[in-house]
Amino acid sequence: MKRGLTIASVVWIEMLRRKDVYVLFILLLAFLMILMSLNVFGLGGLVVYVKEIGLLLTWLFSWILAVNISSRLLPQEETQRTIFPLLAKPISRAEIVFGKWLGAWVVSSVATLVFYAALVVIVGLRGSWFCWTALAQGIALHLCLLGIFSAIGIAFSTRMNSDAAASLTYVLTLSSFLILPRVPELVMHVKGLRQTGLLILYYALPHFELFDMRLRLVHQYPPAQWKTILLVLVYGCIVIMIFLTLSWLAYRNKRFSQGMLK
Amino acid sequence: MKTMNNNAIQIKNLVVEFPSQKGVVRALDGLNLTVKQGQVFGFLGPNGAGKTTTMHVLLGFIKAISGVARIFDEDVLHSIARQRIGYLPEHPDTYRFLTGRELLIMAGNLFLIRRKQLKHRVDELLKLVGLTDTADRRITTYSRGMMQRIGLAQSLVNDPDLVILDEPTSGFDPLGRISIRHIITSLRDRGKTVFFSSHELSEVELICDHIGIIADGRMIADGTVEDLVKPDENLERYFLRVLS
Repeated sequence: MKRGLTIASVVWIEMLRRKDVYVLFILLLAFLMILMSLNVFGLGGLVVYVKEIGLLLTWLFSWILAVNISSRLLPQEETQRTIFPLLAKPISRAEIVFGKWLGAWVVSSVATLVFYAALVVIVGLRGSWFCWTALAQGIALHLCLLGIFSAIGIAFSTRMNSDAAASLTYVLTLSSFLILPRVPELVMHVKGLRQTGLLILYYALPHFELFDMRLRLVHQYPPAQWKTILLVLVYGCIVIMIFLTLSWLAYRNKRFSQGMLK
Repeated sequence: MKTMNNNAIQIKNLVVEFPSQKGVVRALDGLNLTVKQGQVFGFLGPNGAGKTTTMHVLLGFIKAISGVARIFDEDVLHSIARQRIGYLPEHPDTYRFLTGRELLIMAGNLFLIRRKQLKHRVDELLKLVGLTDTADRRITTYSRGMMQRIGLAQSLVNDPDLVILDEPTSGFDPLGRISIRHIITSLRDRGKTVFFSSHELSEVELICDHIGIIADGRMIADGTVEDLVKPDENLERYFLRVLS
């Protein structure tokens, strides 16, 4: 565990000292300016639009950060050849995978909390508030989802370069998010192998829509039952563990030589 | 049944192959090698002979398709074997966004060294490699020689019993080479085993108890300098003679 934390702490220092943190601030600045000047079709007074767009941007930025950071951590160890002194230490490949995931997840989570804080301030300045319990539930689910995105990014990056891993993670997460909730409708209209294939996809891929409480937050619906939230969090943890296990399986026997994958 | 011996490194009939565009390339072809504890072993050979590949097998970066590789009687794939090893790669690339001190602390944490003991050890190592004054500068501002020094310091953070050094003097000026020589001899004086590759044959001749010469993935000469080199030649001449 301590070795995993050491690896994660290196990720945190890197994010603070490299340009990533500036990217975060630029995104935050853009985010605030959009929200402050929002007056589309004369609807500037309607705080519900501010909430909706603010939450959409928070989701979008955190998704980009989680995928970009997680998918480059392992490949960059190889391209910069820092993997050699690291592997020469008594650290297992499982600890490396876990440490990288933890580093990526914590960085994207902290950035997301900053976005939420900014959103709460902007909404407050417009004279409205979120339901605090629902907001806490929404943030908890969102952070868990970022853990899944980070685990998927890490999993793909064990055997691919960072660009390919990021692209595949974007495709998988976006298609799961947009298409999977529609599968039950589609299943009604097809039969045979297609139906079986769709059902396999439906049950095999992670359901990100379960983590989305934006509508509830925007329209001030009452909070969900904590039991339901806990179940979704458990589901999220299981998905994270599955992807981290797959990452470890792919990484544990990887051959490294002269900085190149053989 | 496991038998105890005093070998730091034991390699038997090691075969390593890499896929390439032309088919499979055999990097190590039945390599045999033994390094006793407390020896300073110079591992020599022309470029592409298999020196770095041998080191990478010993460190568990790559797996051999057949043969045995053991460190202190432990299979090299067990991470416990790496607890007693220090390794300096040929190009000591490292996390350049860290300071020299932070790098050593990180390395020490990976060996689970206690905080108080680690602080003392880090100061000691920085002094040993002559980086005390620049310890809190980011590594990205270091020169090549300083990179090599901090790489060497991180390889010694766990006070290893076996130090594997891949071209340790490359990137050093003459003064730096002398200091590396002093570090290696002081390690030997403390009973440590040093296994290093080098193209600097005069350095090897000065500090090694034992040398091995590898070519095309096979050991072609193995013994003490006195045993191998004739009285009327030096190691460089011997090296050329054996290779030809």
